[in-house]
Amino acid sequence: MKRFSFAKTMAVAGALSLAASLVPTSALSQANAIKIGIDLPVSGADASDGIPTRNGAVLAIEEAKGASGFSFVADDLDDAVQGKHNPAQGAQNVKTFIADPAVLAIVGPFNSNVAKAEIPLTNDAGLVQISPSNTNPGLTKGPDAAKLRTNPVNNYFRVCTTDDKQGGAGAQFARKLGYSKVFIIDDNETYGKGLADVFEADFKADGGTVLGHEHITSGQQDFKALLTKAASLGPDFIYFGGTTSSGGGLVRKQMEDAGMKNVAYFGGDGISDAEFITVTGDMANNTYYTVAAPETSKLASAATFVADYKKRFGSDPGPYSANAYAIAQIEIAAINKAITADGGKMPTRAQVLANVAATKDFPTPIGKVGFDANGDTTNGILSLYAIKDGKSEFINQISFKD
Amino acid sequence: MDVFFQQLINGLSLGGIYALIALGYTMVYGIIELINFAHGDIYTLGTFVSLAVLTGLGVSGELHGWPLLGVLVLSIFGAMLACGIAGVVIERLAYRRLRNAPRLAPLITAIGVSFILENIMQLWQGPSPVPFPSVIPNPSFQIGGVQIATKQILVVALAVVMMVGLQFFVYNTRLGKAMRATAQDRDAAQLMGININTTIAATFLIGSALAGAAGFVSGVYYGTTWFFNGFSAGLKAFTAAVLGGIGNLAGAMLGGFLIGVIEAMTAQYISDQWTNVVVFSVLVLVLIFRPSGLLGESLPEKV
Repeated sequence: MKRFSFAKTMAVAGALSLAASLVPTSALSQANAIKIGIDLPVSGADASDGIPTRNGAVLAIEEAKGASGFSFVADDLDDAVQGKHNPAQGAQNVKTFIADPAVLAIVGPFNSNVAKAEIPLTNDAGLVQISPSNTNPGLTKGPDAAKLRTNPVNNYFRVCTTDDKQGGAGAQFARKLGYSKVFIIDDNETYGKGLADVFEADFKADGGTVLGHEHITSGQQDFKALLTKAASLGPDFIYFGGTTSSGGGLVRKQMEDAGMKNVAYFGGDGISDAEFITVTGDMANNTYYTVAAPETSKLASAATFVADYKKRFGSDPGPYSANAYAIAQIEIAAINKAITADGGKMPTRAQVLANVAATKDFPTPIGKVGFDANGDTTNGILSLYAIKDGKSEFINQISFKD
Repeated sequence: MDVFFQQLINGLSLGGIYALIALGYTMVYGIIELINFAHGDIYTLGTFVSLAVLTGLGVSGELHGWPLLGVLVLSIFGAMLACGIAGVVIERLAYRRLRNAPRLAPLITAIGVSFILENIMQLWQGPSPVPFPSVIPNPSFQIGGVQIATKQILVVALAVVMMVGLQFFVYNTRLGKAMRATAQDRDAAQLMGININTTIAATFLIGSALAGAAGFVSGVYYGTTWFFNGFSAGLKAFTAAVLGGIGNLAGAMLGGFLIGVIEAMTAQYISDQWTNVVVFSVLVLVLIFRPSGLLGESLPEKV
């Protein structure tokens, strides 16, 4: 190593900064590396959500250039246990990030119940955290949000729209398709139940009839009894609040045996993953879902991102890849701003947090992003999809500007 | 009323799967008083092995006539054989040395074996749910307003046939007699010239093979599986075995069907999220009034 670096010193000197040629390379990368913590479920049934999302963040971190000789690395942890997102594991992961002074910002988590376990910890530590996909409104607004925070300075942000809008968009869309009778099932989690409750209220407000609303339990395998009950009420469609891994796939699959082969299925972004189509097979068709992010293939601003993503990972981006990319961009910009303002020193978490909170009209692949006082995005876009012939098709998008 | 009968059918078919798993729990408990927590994972192994057999045969859709029968026999037999061998190997490696250790040691070992199996299956088939081909044509029979699917008949019939066969085996064969003798008094049985090790290994072989059959049936019935499937099914089956009277074959079957029906009825008439509450409340009530389960005999305390 030493001989090699001596031999190459002259050639490499031009490319390295003055500091780098004086300090051994290993010590340099130690001292000047800033870590972006990524906490997403990347194994098990959630992997088809988590991995494309993580890839989005990783791409932004790899492309990033640090100010004043700093560099960025991804510190990537998995919050899935036994194949499913797990709030306790998420909390453990953010404790690891908090304990590492090189971590200045976090991307994640993916699931709202994991966020509930993490926000109290990161809030206390003043460590900025931005989620690509937490849609539960209670994470940022109202008494639920207050309960999660001990520190008055908000540290939690998100770039996706919330379920009060996602549920409403789902309800509107279902009415537009001419459906009037729904049976609602949710997974009793923070995200799933929250979304289903909003959908129920909005669907009624839009003139629809709710025949029933039931909650399933974690780890449940058999939904035939529940679906037989639903079928006996004659719904036009079933609305599912939850994720593929928490029962969204199995419920759809078992509708066939409960005599509801031709009944439509609706859900939120929880069933937007590729896993849903794998698990449900033929029954995947006639399913509709909303995603709290724009469809990247339709956005001019995302064209470069989509091309770079395909080149780097050899696959199409997932529904939340661009969101994660945008988050990492926002965090990196905030960190670089702090470094420059401070004259090239390693910034504090408080400085990074203040810069993230001040983000306004920041250009990203998903459009110009900014945060309101609660930490919610000011750029709310919802996309609607349908599954036909085993493939997801983009149908429409709705924009909510606050 | 149609809905009631429809739910009864749903409950019985779910209960049939519980019953098949519960038979293995109850056999092992009956003979060495071990709650074999790995049993639920053997059941999942059964699903995966039959899936591997189907994939190996190139089956991906419905079959009819002789090919169907051949494929069915091969995949059930494959699952039963693989699971039976796995059961024997587990007994030999993990439980035999601990047979005379304090009760807690084999229990914790069983939990450990369960984790090992889960992780092996996760490595083998991946952590995500795996689709299972629907090999059996599934026409439904309409009786009044009630629909009965072929798959549901298969589940219930298989459970009943296996239970009756097992009952016959245990009460009418030499090995069955040896099993009963070993269960009653291991030392005395040994003195009478019964090879305890072979007898216990045979119990694991049969119990695990039944779990393998249950695994195949559940694959066909649900059309999907994943490595962690056995955990909750195993827990319910264990509850079924206790409810019916652990150590009692007919009791395991009764317990399985009962829990299946209770679950279906709770989902219909109360609410799906209360199924576990109702199931376990019934269990507590039964155990208060009949501590040895519905069909359990009150054996002299052996601990």
